[in-house]
Amino acid sequence: MASISGLLLLLLAVVLIATAVLALRYRLPFRIAMRNVRRGKWRTLLIVFGLLVGTTIISGSLVINDTITAVNVHFTYQAFGYTDEGVYNASVAQGGAPYRFFPTSVYTNLSSAAATNSLIAGTTPEVIVSGSAFDRTTGVPESGINIIGVNANESAALGPFTYDNGSTVQGPAPGEVLIDDQLASNLGASAGDHLVVYGRTSAALTVQGVVKDDVRGGFLFGNSAFVTLATGQSLWNATGQINFIAVTNVGSLTGGVAHSDAVASFLNATLVRMGSPAGLAAYPILQMNLNDAVQSGMSVATLFLVFGLFSIVAGALLIAGIFINLAEERKGEMGMLRAVGLRRRSLVLIYYFEGIVYAAASAIAGTLLGVAVGFVLLDLYIHSTKLSASVVTAFYESFTVTPQSLILAYVAGFLLTIGTIAASSGRVSRLNIVRAIRSVPEPPPTLRAYTYFAYLGAVLAAFGVLLFLPNRGGTGDISVPLAGLGLAIVGLGLVATRFVKNRYAFTAVGLALVAWGGTVDLHRAVLGSSHSGSIFSIFVEGIEIVLGAVLLFVFNSDLLTSAIGRLGGTSGRRGSVVRIGLAYPRRRPTRSAVNFAIFAMVVFVVVLVAAFGSSVAGALQSEITTQSGGYTFFGYTSQPVPNLPAQVAGNATLAPQFSNVVPLTVGGVLVRVAGFPGGYADDLFAAPLNASPSENFYTTNQYNFTSTLNGMSTADVWHALQTNRTVAIADASYAPGQVNFGGSAHPTLALGQRVPLQNPATLGVLNVTIIGFMSQEFLPGLWVNPTAAGSVGYANTSGFLLRIAPGASSATASQDLKRAFFPDGLLLYDFAQLLQTSIQDIESSVGLLEVFVALGLAVGIAGMGIVALRAVTERRVQIGMLRAQGFTRRMILGAFLIEYSYVALLGILVGTGLAIWLYYNAVNSGGVSGLGVFAVPTVTILGITTVAYALTMAAILGPSWKAANLAPADAVRYTE
Amino acid sequence: MAEVVVSGEGVWKVYGQGETKVQALRGLDVAIERGEMLAVMGPSGSGKTTFLNCFSGLDDISDGSVKIDGVDIHRLRDKAKSDYRARRMGFVFQSYNLLPVLSAVENVEMPLLITGVSAKEARERSLALLGELGLGERVHHFPAELSGGQQQRVSLARALVARPAIVWADEPTGNLDEEGSHQVTVLLRDLNQRHHQTIVIVTHDPMVAKVCDRTLQMHDGHFVDAE
Repeated sequence: MASISGLLLLLLAVVLIATAVLALRYRLPFRIAMRNVRRGKWRTLLIVFGLLVGTTIISGSLVINDTITAVNVHFTYQAFGYTDEGVYNASVAQGGAPYRFFPTSVYTNLSSAAATNSLIAGTTPEVIVSGSAFDRTTGVPESGINIIGVNANESAALGPFTYDNGSTVQGPAPGEVLIDDQLASNLGASAGDHLVVYGRTSAALTVQGVVKDDVRGGFLFGNSAFVTLATGQSLWNATGQINFIAVTNVGSLTGGVAHSDAVASFLNATLVRMGSPAGLAAYPILQMNLNDAVQSGMSVATLFLVFGLFSIVAGALLIAGIFINLAEERKGEMGMLRAVGLRRRSLVLIYYFEGIVYAAASAIAGTLLGVAVGFVLLDLYIHSTKLSASVVTAFYESFTVTPQSLILAYVAGFLLTIGTIAASSGRVSRLNIVRAIRSVPEPPPTLRAYTYFAYLGAVLAAFGVLLFLPNRGGTGDISVPLAGLGLAIVGLGLVATRFVKNRYAFTAVGLALVAWGGTVDLHRAVLGSSHSGSIFSIFVEGIEIVLGAVLLFVFNSDLLTSAIGRLGGTSGRRGSVVRIGLAYPRRRPTRSAVNFAIFAMVVFVVVLVAAFGSSVAGALQSEITTQSGGYTFFGYTSQPVPNLPAQVAGNATLAPQFSNVVPLTVGGVLVRVAGFPGGYADDLFAAPLNASPSENFYTTNQYNFTSTLNGMSTADVWHALQTNRTVAIADASYAPGQVNFGGSAHPTLALGQRVPLQNPATLGVLNVTIIGFMSQEFLPGLWVNPTAAGSVGYANTSGFLLRIAPGASSATASQDLKRAFFPDGLLLYDFAQLLQTSIQDIESSVGLLEVFVALGLAVGIAGMGIVALRAVTERRVQIGMLRAQGFTRRMILGAFLIEYSYVALLGILVGTGLAIWLYYNAVNSGGVSGLGVFAVPTVTILGITTVAYALTMAAILGPSWKAANLAPADAVRYTE
Repeated sequence: MAEVVVSGEGVWKVYGQGETKVQALRGLDVAIERGEMLAVMGPSGSGKTTFLNCFSGLDDISDGSVKIDGVDIHRLRDKAKSDYRARRMGFVFQSYNLLPVLSAVENVEMPLLITGVSAKEARERSLALLGELGLGERVHHFPAELSGGQQQRVSLARALVARPAIVWADEPTGNLDEEGSHQVTVLLRDLNQRHHQTIVIVTHDPMVAKVCDRTLQMHDGHFVDAE
């Protein structure tokens, strides 16, 4: 972002210097421009308001980015504290221990070497494993806790723990355990409680105290129990061994990370020199997690920014509309300036200088407003999502606006505004003096003009084809060929205007763009189904179909208004009002088109987001079936449990509650695919063959596939997986066409693709061919034949899919199962519960996004107000004439309301229709998962559109009222 | 004795207050007979247009009364006054004041539609009148596609199509060249004679005044002479 800011600042400097030079050289145009700015304060205010929306959206997105990044960074520092680097063997998890154990002598040797390095402040030997705890005092168990073995006298570099009462302690005493706030809360524990902590063995310990989730106590994101190193080793039967060395750099909590690369290199060189065990390495753990934290913040900001792009485009249209209006308004005056000797260039400069002032003011206002918008949206998010108290506090404490973001928002907003103004000022240079002075309308374009259009169209079409053809196939981003063909269609349309009537050419272009942009099946037919989706593709599709609709509207407005006009009757007062109200959009559709496009575009994206929210929420039941495969729980134990299904079957309490207990082999693999140099880390699943009916995955699962190789049936795929060691199936996230909403990169695979899977511990490689993509992505990874899994070192079953018996309670079954396998560290995930929570979170985020994109409606409303205000001035004589002919004040008011209602309502209807149509197509194409079951969010849409329409009417009521109350005698003789 | 269509008694029109007060009309008394073609002349600022606006009800008066067909139009409320204008008056202005978004025939039929005449009848009557005025070939053209003279003829057709009691014309030839001006003047006279149409013309043009039945000279807000 810093480089973008620098580039933009440079651009800003260039623009400002050039402007200053021009102002000095062309003083008269500059003086006229400054006088124009001061001419109408209210109008200036209105223009600035209209211009600031784009900047507000950019600024708001960046503030959200800054704050989420700051929250993530806050928790990252809290989770890793003074552990700048970690020395561990990351190659494989050992059943609940995240890192492989190695002799303590490695630490002894390494710490001696570290003492010679001035960048290292200290090293700490640790044991880090997962386990469970049972509070004998409160009777509450807790699985999935972090057990950290660390000695008080060897961890000074990490800083002290802080008790809730503020006092500090360096580490746990023998026989005692320090627990953090989160674990204390989950266990209901307090100092003095008696805990049994379970790893591979168990230990009875007394709670020495509850420590804060701060830079020392919040290690590994909390839910941690800190014991002595010896206790940690004993819990894992690993006497004389450790599995983690924390390395602290010199400097402050946040400053030490600057030395990470140098320290990690030194440590790795030392480890090699020492001949340390294979796989043991030093990692800049804090730096890596800080990078992830920043990336995660950027993902959210990207989501907001891309959806906000629709509003930014709408804002640019408004800016163009405002300046075209200004040019129209001052046509006579400009004609006179030309007549008295001002050159064309000077006229353009007048606009440019005036625009610079508006752009500078609106960019400041927009940037500041964006900060407020960002804060309000985050506040809404905090209140609408179930966040823990610590996260809520972190959000408020971390509300951040970086100077970089302010600069970026200001400069981007300024350049966007001035760029659009410069582009729309071009009209001024073509001014005809006589026509301008006499207010004679511009003649239609000449044949020569159409020839130029055709050349422009040919260039555009060629560029579009160049984008389309090379990217039509393959697995690249689908946005590129989507945009390419769209550009080619528009280019061909421009060429066609040279030979056929505009109506025919642009109607054809409009229809083609709507069909191309909105038909997902057509994309698959033309582009295949291997492309990866990106959030930007939604923007491309949206722009294409809205542009198509605008062209249809502009070039067929007479047909549309005639049809609607008939509804209002053909004569009488009502008929006359309707006729006049619709006459302007019918005869001057290009003017209405700007507002129509703004409304259509913004409503489109708001409804699209709302449709996503409602479809996902409405799909809970089907989503549970899709994601769970018909099972109730996924269980995972920190250590292999010998024959868990048999133990369940033999337990009188558990047996009646479960109908299926399916064991799974679960292990980590690196998926070796292009674009992921170190391989993509994911899970490998395999279900045993020949299991008893109630334990047989292949006969009890209800998982579906989105696509299979050569159209294999579901049964064929499962059969192949049981009999063929060289095939694999992947979860939905690997399927082509998945829309990546700005998250971290994920590989896309193709059916029939041969993929090497590597066990990072044994380095054994398994080559498999992808034969199907599952609908589920709850258990992410690849599923292979169990023998194949065994060939790369995965044979134990530590995962379980469980289905409760008909009539059994999932809550009771869960409690009983956890209790029975608690010492084994059984973690149990309830599919329904997790999906419900996940969907609630999605709903909150979608709601927030809706509010954000709905900000663009302000553009449409402001635009309508500005156009209406201009219309009152421009049509004063016509209004006077209508009054002379017998139009009452009410009829004039009615005509204005009908005119703007027509444009706003049509924009709202078209935007809504296109969004629903696109979403319907996307859901029913079946190529994209996670879109839920198509549902129209009627209430939300009605709410949004009613508010948008009501505010629009409120915006135009003033100008319309003014028009209605013009004195006819004054109006008929009015000259601007 | 001829029937009086428009009668004004002691009509005053005062703009502004205090030092900025301007007496545009100073106690005008006037009677216009049915079928009369009256010209109102005078130098700029004499109050000609104010006379037209106040006597047609486009503007309010400060004192006095204006009756058209016996109805005191300044006592009517906005709706009734608008309705009265729609049914009983037609207007022609110097700058034509056609609605640019309506075609010639659509402009002409608007007064008929306002008064509730069916769309079919309005179209037939408008086409007939435009044909009568020599615009039969241009009925579907928009104002921007017509010459000044043609636009003024459309404007005339619009003023006359509803067969109003009186047509008010404010400098109808002001924007036209000599030939166009002559055509419009002849046309007005012809319509006045054929349809016995009352027409009041505010003009600077002595040629226009020459064809009228009577000319009123205005100076400083009152009539100074009458022919």
